[in-house]
Amino acid sequence: MKEYLTMRLPLRREMMTTVRLAAGGVCSAAGMSYDGGEDCKLCVTESLLLMMRRGFTAAEVRFFPAPQGGIAVRAEGTEGEAAMPATDEDEIALALLSALAENVDIDREKGVIAFLFGQQA
Amino acid sequence: MNEEELFRAYRETHDVALRNEIVEKYLYIAAVLAKKFVGRGVDYDDLYQVASLALLKGVERFDERKGLKFSTFITPTITGEIKNYFRDRSRLVHLPRRVSELRVGIKRASEEFFAEHGRKPTAKELAGMLSVSEEEVVRCSDAGGVVSLDVPADREHEGMSLHDLLPAEGDMFETFEDRDALNAAVRTLGEQERALLKYRFGEELSQMETAKRLGVSQMNVSRMERRVLQKLRDTMKKAMTE
Repeated sequence: MKEYLTMRLPLRREMMTTVRLAAGGVCSAAGMSYDGGEDCKLCVTESLLLMMRRGFTAAEVRFFPAPQGGIAVRAEGTEGEAAMPATDEDEIALALLSALAENVDIDREKGVIAFLFGQQA
Repeated sequence: MNEEELFRAYRETHDVALRNEIVEKYLYIAAVLAKKFVGRGVDYDDLYQVASLALLKGVERFDERKGLKFSTFITPTITGEIKNYFRDRSRLVHLPRRVSELRVGIKRASEEFFAEHGRKPTAKELAGMLSVSEEEVVRCSDAGGVVSLDVPADREHEGMSLHDLLPAEGDMFETFEDRDALNAAVRTLGEQERALLKYRFGEELSQMETAKRLGVSQMNVSRMERRVLQKLRDTMKKAMTE
C-alpha cells in the first residue's frame, strides 16, 4: 500500500503545529473536505498527545490511503513506554477519537493508535 | 460522593442543586472539548456555550447503571452537538479561512482595546494591532452576514423584498431596464461619488487605491461607498415603482 507520508518526530508539544500542518496537507491532497481534514488533524494530534502523556518520547505517524477510499492513519510510539497511568484527559481524548474517526483501534501498552476517515470525510 | 453515587442520587431525587453540582464538576470537559474545535470560524465562547448545553442534556440522559464512565459517555455527545452547530450555523456563508481568523482576531483586539481605553478602536488602530491593512479590517468586519431574501430591501421596512429585486436569469428586458434605471441613478450623484464608482466598480481598485486617487482617507471611501450604494438603491427603487 503506497503511503502518502511518514513522519518520525520527538513527542513534544511544540511539534504539534508541524504535525497539524503536515496532516492538513495530506488530507487536502487526499481530497478530503475542510471539516474532514480538520477532524483528522485533531485526531492525529490527540493521538500523539495521548502517547506523550503516557510516557512515550518519540513517535512515527503514517498516513496512507484507506482500502475503501479516504485516509488511514497509524501513530506508534517508538521511544519510551506507557509508564504513566491513564488520566481523565486521556479518557476524553480516546472518546473524542472514537467520536470523530472510524475504525479506531488502540493498543495502550504498545502505544499504537490507528483510525481512518472514509471517503465521505 | 463519587461519580456513581452522584448520578444515582440525582436519578432518584431529580434535585436541581444536585444536577448543578454534577454540571459544575464536569464543566471542564465542555471547556476542554470546546478548545479543541477553536480555529474553525466559530468563537470559543460560542463553542463553550454549545458544549455546556450538551453537558446539561447529557447529565439528564446518563445512566450510571450501564457501567460507562461519564466522561466516556459525554464526550461523543458534546462532540456531536459541536459538529451539528458547525453544520447548521457556521456554514451558512463559507468565509475563507483567513477572513474567519481575522474576524476572530478583530473581535478579540476590539475587546482588549475597549478594556484598556474605554472606547472602541478605529479601523486604523485595529489594523495596527493585528498587523494587517485597514482595508482588510473593514472588509472582514462586513463579511459573513446572512440576510433573508424576504427582508425589505429598503430601510423603511416596507415595499419590495430583496427577492423581488433579484433579476430573472437571462431576462434581457429586465437587464435593459435595470441599466437604464442605473444610468439615471448615477446621474443624480456628485462628481466625487461618480469618480468613486468608476474607480471601485469600473477599474476594480481597492478602497486604499481609490482613496489615494480621490485624496481622501480609506475610511472616507468606505463610508462614501456605503452611502453611494444606498443612494443608488433608493433612486432605482423609486424609479422602478413609479
